[in-house]
Amino acid sequence: MGPVELLHMSVFSQSFSPCGRFLAAGNNYGEIALFSLSAALSPDASEGSQKPILNFTAHDGPVFSLLSTDTHLLSAGNGEISAWSWAELIKKVSQLFSKCMTSLEIPEINAMIINPKDNSLIVGGGDNNIHIMDMETGIFKSVLKGHTDYIHCLCFKEREEEILSGGEDGAVRIWGHTEIPLSRFQTCSGMVGQECARPQFGKWISCLATDSDWMLCGGGPSLSLWHLRSMSPTSVFPLPGCQREAVFHQDLIMSVGEGPYVSHCLHGGTVKAQIPCTPSSLNTLALNLKNTEHRVMTVGGSSHQIDVFTNFSYRAFSLSF
Amino acid sequence: MSSDAVKKRKPKVIRSEAGAPETKRGRAEGDQDVRVYNEEVELEVRDPQQDYMLYKDTCAALAKLMEEIQELKAGGAKVQSVEIEERRTQCSVHFITLKKLNRLAHMRLKKGRDQTHEAKQRVDVLHLQLQNLLYEVMHLQKEIGKCLEFRSQHEEIELVSEEEFFQEAPAEISRPHVTRDDQHQLTLARLDWELEQRKRLAEQYKMSLARKEKIQKAIEQKREYLSSLQPGLQNIMQASLPVQEYLAIPFEHMQKQAEVARHLPPPLYVLLVQAGAYGQACDKNLSVSISGDVDEAKALSRPPEDSQDDESDSDAEEEQQNTKRRRATLGVQLDDKRKEMLRRHPLSLCVDLKCKDGSVLHLFFYYLMNLNILTVKTKVSTTTDLSGAVSAGELLNSESLLNCLYASDHGKETPNPANRYQFDKVGITTFGDYVSDLGHPFVWVQKLGGLQFSSGGAQSGLTGSALSASHMERTMKLLRGRLQARLALHKQFSSLEHSIIPVSSECQHLFPAKVVSGLVRWTTMSCQEFTELGFVQHVLKAGLVHETDLFFMATVERGTARLRAAVVMNPRYPEVAPLFSLSLHWKGERSGRTDDNLQAMESEVNVFRSELQGPRPGLQLLTNQIQRLCVCLDVYLETESQVCDGSEGPKEFPREKMCLRTARGPSRLKPFKYNHPQGFFSHR
Repeated sequence: MGPVELLHMSVFSQSFSPCGRFLAAGNNYGEIALFSLSAALSPDASEGSQKPILNFTAHDGPVFSLLSTDTHLLSAGNGEISAWSWAELIKKVSQLFSKCMTSLEIPEINAMIINPKDNSLIVGGGDNNIHIMDMETGIFKSVLKGHTDYIHCLCFKEREEEILSGGEDGAVRIWGHTEIPLSRFQTCSGMVGQECARPQFGKWISCLATDSDWMLCGGGPSLSLWHLRSMSPTSVFPLPGCQREAVFHQDLIMSVGEGPYVSHCLHGGTVKAQIPCTPSSLNTLALNLKNTEHRVMTVGGSSHQIDVFTNFSYRAFSLSF
Repeated sequence: MSSDAVKKRKPKVIRSEAGAPETKRGRAEGDQDVRVYNEEVELEVRDPQQDYMLYKDTCAALAKLMEEIQELKAGGAKVQSVEIEERRTQCSVHFITLKKLNRLAHMRLKKGRDQTHEAKQRVDVLHLQLQNLLYEVMHLQKEIGKCLEFRSQHEEIELVSEEEFFQEAPAEISRPHVTRDDQHQLTLARLDWELEQRKRLAEQYKMSLARKEKIQKAIEQKREYLSSLQPGLQNIMQASLPVQEYLAIPFEHMQKQAEVARHLPPPLYVLLVQAGAYGQACDKNLSVSISGDVDEAKALSRPPEDSQDDESDSDAEEEQQNTKRRRATLGVQLDDKRKEMLRRHPLSLCVDLKCKDGSVLHLFFYYLMNLNILTVKTKVSTTTDLSGAVSAGELLNSESLLNCLYASDHGKETPNPANRYQFDKVGITTFGDYVSDLGHPFVWVQKLGGLQFSSGGAQSGLTGSALSASHMERTMKLLRGRLQARLALHKQFSSLEHSIIPVSSECQHLFPAKVVSGLVRWTTMSCQEFTELGFVQHVLKAGLVHETDLFFMATVERGTARLRAAVVMNPRYPEVAPLFSLSLHWKGERSGRTDDNLQAMESEVNVFRSELQGPRPGLQLLTNQIQRLCVCLDVYLETESQVCDGSEGPKEFPREKMCLRTARGPSRLKPFKYNHPQGFFSHR
């Protein structure tokens, strides 16, 4: 990785280890780097501890999605999903066993989520469909079709076991146990939710998050908070750029997207703070809630540096590839 | 003494008195028995002890008489009484006795003194004689000592040892029958023998001298003969020149060069030998020649009158001179010292590298004697006229042509750490000021001359010729590559300035057949201007920009869209690829930082540069990069489906490029990768 390559690197995905002491990040060159949070957060941390302890090439395309189960790290490349054992990774050995999804060839995989109830992996990507795979057996159980353009993001409602998907076509679809979408609603102009539409950007939905009855969605349209039962937006957040990832955290909403800052918003619709960070635009935000010692928020975007926030209000330091 | 004298006089008087009458009588009665009264004779007879007793008696008697007189006078007797008279007469007689005794005593004393004196005299004489004798004895002893210590000159002569003498000397000299017994004779014989030998050797010496003279004369004659041959040989050489040229063996030229080369300083000599060897063995297009003033060089190699190493001496001299004549100003003195320190050797090497297209890179190597470094100056001569391109002004500039031939070899500072101390003495802060005059002291130049300076970093254990040889091939290749790259760039620039991107036939497959966006401007920028641009700050922060780099601005336009690309070119192009930073002006201003797609375009030309290298040696990298930018701009503009100002209407740029998908991934990137020969665009 020469300096020119580092200059043009983008971080697309992050995932914390089950114990919460390690962070895995994937970039646009197909590499996954493993950072040791305990080393970076310790009092005698040095420059070296902000470098990855392990850096390996996982796929030949960009790694758009990383997901951690209790024992494995799942990474998605161009049409393939690989599983890496966390135990092996921590020992700085990259060992792969991958399950290629034969039904997806060229298309990329943008989002992966897990349904813990029946231990299945839900994958959405470039072929406009959602695939559900059984993690034990590794075979694909079902395909959810409906979107007319590729899927950006997926999200899972635990209580009802429903899947929400947002795509390039601007539609958010809610899927139940059947293959037929329960409902769909679009957020572009002419339909419900006119106030959040932003035609100058487009209609795609790139981020979704749910908190039982509430749903956040944003992308081309402004980030907005919807009440699911009534299917109406309750508040629209006046954020200038297109948001790529948003999460609910306690009573705050944190979102990242175009623009070099993390936005903290309140449910009411006000933007409480915008915390500046190094990358000029952000792709991914992750919160390490599993481990109380290393409770940090990390963001990555179009830079080779990943910012770490120990106190969510300001940037502490940056890890770099 | 005076009493002595008086007493002496008295007896004389008496004697003469006694004598006079006696002599009268004597003369009168000559035949008669002469009665001589000699008191001295009487003295011998009388006994001193008796005289003493007589004296005491007389004194006693006198005293008694006086007593009696006294008694009588006291008794009332008269003065003229008979008893007193009698007694008086007796007293007078006693007085006379006393007087005689006194006289005798004096005479005895005198006699005694005389006798003592005589004895003393005699003793003195004897004493003197004794001393004389002792003195003589001592003298004689000394003489004896001297005689015994006498060293004859003959003992200083080194003689052969006795055994050798007996062995070598002929019998008549050695006379063993005599000499074996007699040491004196032996010594004499040995001396004789020595004399003989010396005479003989002197004879031999004279003969040898004579021989030497003869031989000397013979040598002289032969020398004259040889020198008379010289003009003849010269004529032959002259006559053979045309033959040499005809046969292409520049024998004489090489000899002349070798002759001059003897006066070269060592580093230049090493360079000459190694470059010449390399040229003969591997590279026919390399030629080396020496230029400069040979006489000055010869003058230098004579023992120097004022050695520069001994600064204190020359300073002292200068001071003395200054007190004698008008003092030069301090500045002038310092200037002179500086000039002296930076003096070049009068001889220099000229290495010519010819390229296939006829252009030549001339390298002039100089040696700075006091600093012990080599410097180089360059000149490029081409067959075609190169005044076309304005932006290419810096490319073949002799100051910067050889910048960074090896990474970070700027040639602005002297690589010899000892020079720092020399500079401090004469107040030179940095060598960079003199570089344009004296040439660039690149590290590779030092290595070619076999000079190795410990300046950190790994160094091999080679010095001298081995060092030079190990670097020669690579350096020559780099030099040639540099010249070719620069010339190629020159041509490309003149084409770019005419808004034509020259794409060779070998690289046509990298781009689609139809490219609508076109280059409208190609200009050069200064480092200052570059750093002031807003959209290049990320490159500056990453430390990828150096002062020695070349900066350009390319402007690509299509319709209302204008793409500006700031280019940073490392002097080591094409080994190090140029770095592009983009800024698009179309319905607002966007740059690679704000727009992910522009960053993807930057990636296309910066990160995937190996695809754009073209045929070896990769001289078309820049033009291919610019062409790819144009292609990417086409794709960008055509796939932009949104209409920003809200109005519906025909798109400014109709879709012409074939793309499978226009957006992919979370950042919705456009397909910039061109696939050949299918001709469609896809994502990476």
